[in-house]
Amino acid sequence: MERRKFLGFGIFAAAAALVPGTLSAEDYRKTKPAVWAAHTIEDAIAKMYGTSTTIEQGVTLTAPDVAANGGAVPVDFSSDIAAKSVAVFQSSNPEAAVCAMTLNENSVIDFSIKMKLKQSGTIVVVVEGKDGKLYSAKKTLSVALGGCEG
Amino acid sequence: MEIKAKLKDGITTVKAMAKHPMLTYDTAKKQGVEANFITHITATVNDKVVLDMSTSQFLSKNPIFKFSFKGAAAGDKIVMTWVDLLGATETSESVIK
Repeated sequence: MERRKFLGFGIFAAAAALVPGTLSAEDYRKTKPAVWAAHTIEDAIAKMYGTSTTIEQGVTLTAPDVAANGGAVPVDFSSDIAAKSVAVFQSSNPEAAVCAMTLNENSVIDFSIKMKLKQSGTIVVVVEGKDGKLYSAKKTLSVALGGCEG
Repeated sequence: MEIKAKLKDGITTVKAMAKHPMLTYDTAKKQGVEANFITHITATVNDKVVLDMSTSQFLSKNPIFKFSFKGAAAGDKIVMTWVDLLGATETSESVIK
């Protein structure tokens, strides 16, 4: 019993020690698990932000018109909007969510990522403004060779 | 993880590559192995969070990504950590140039 208590305390202490490092960090996979299981873009945005209504302005999204290799499609996105978070969704894969970033006062919205796309589809980047509105940019592209087959 | 961080006009741009197979559920099923992919990536400079990204299986294999932030100085240390679905984690650090 003594040992068990000691171990329990150790876990608690480790958890407490981790808190300052994470600060405002939010793990969307833990806080919003439904987002990662959603199959359509609209559904995923609704599960993430509570609404799927977005304003299509203020966000720049760059991706190739035709992706030769679906295994690594370069996607760049940037925005000058004062924002709380940014998330990327697509319609080519079984699930819609790709990634979600929490922003703070030091953040600059200027990201490049490489993603897998199984087939042709649409990529949507959503920026959650500090004013509570959702801003988005959309890009439809075709994929020559699907990238989910391994 | 490979990290390159460069400071220019007050904005630090970081290019990073994590070495990870990023197995989707589909691929893993075909290969008869367990799906595994990076689920969360964080970066800190001077104990301040500069990147906090939750990710899904649809980032590419060995994902390369680029991000930017303000408020760091040349010579500061940047520490990045990823966690995958099976709980493995890797931490790397680099110096902002």
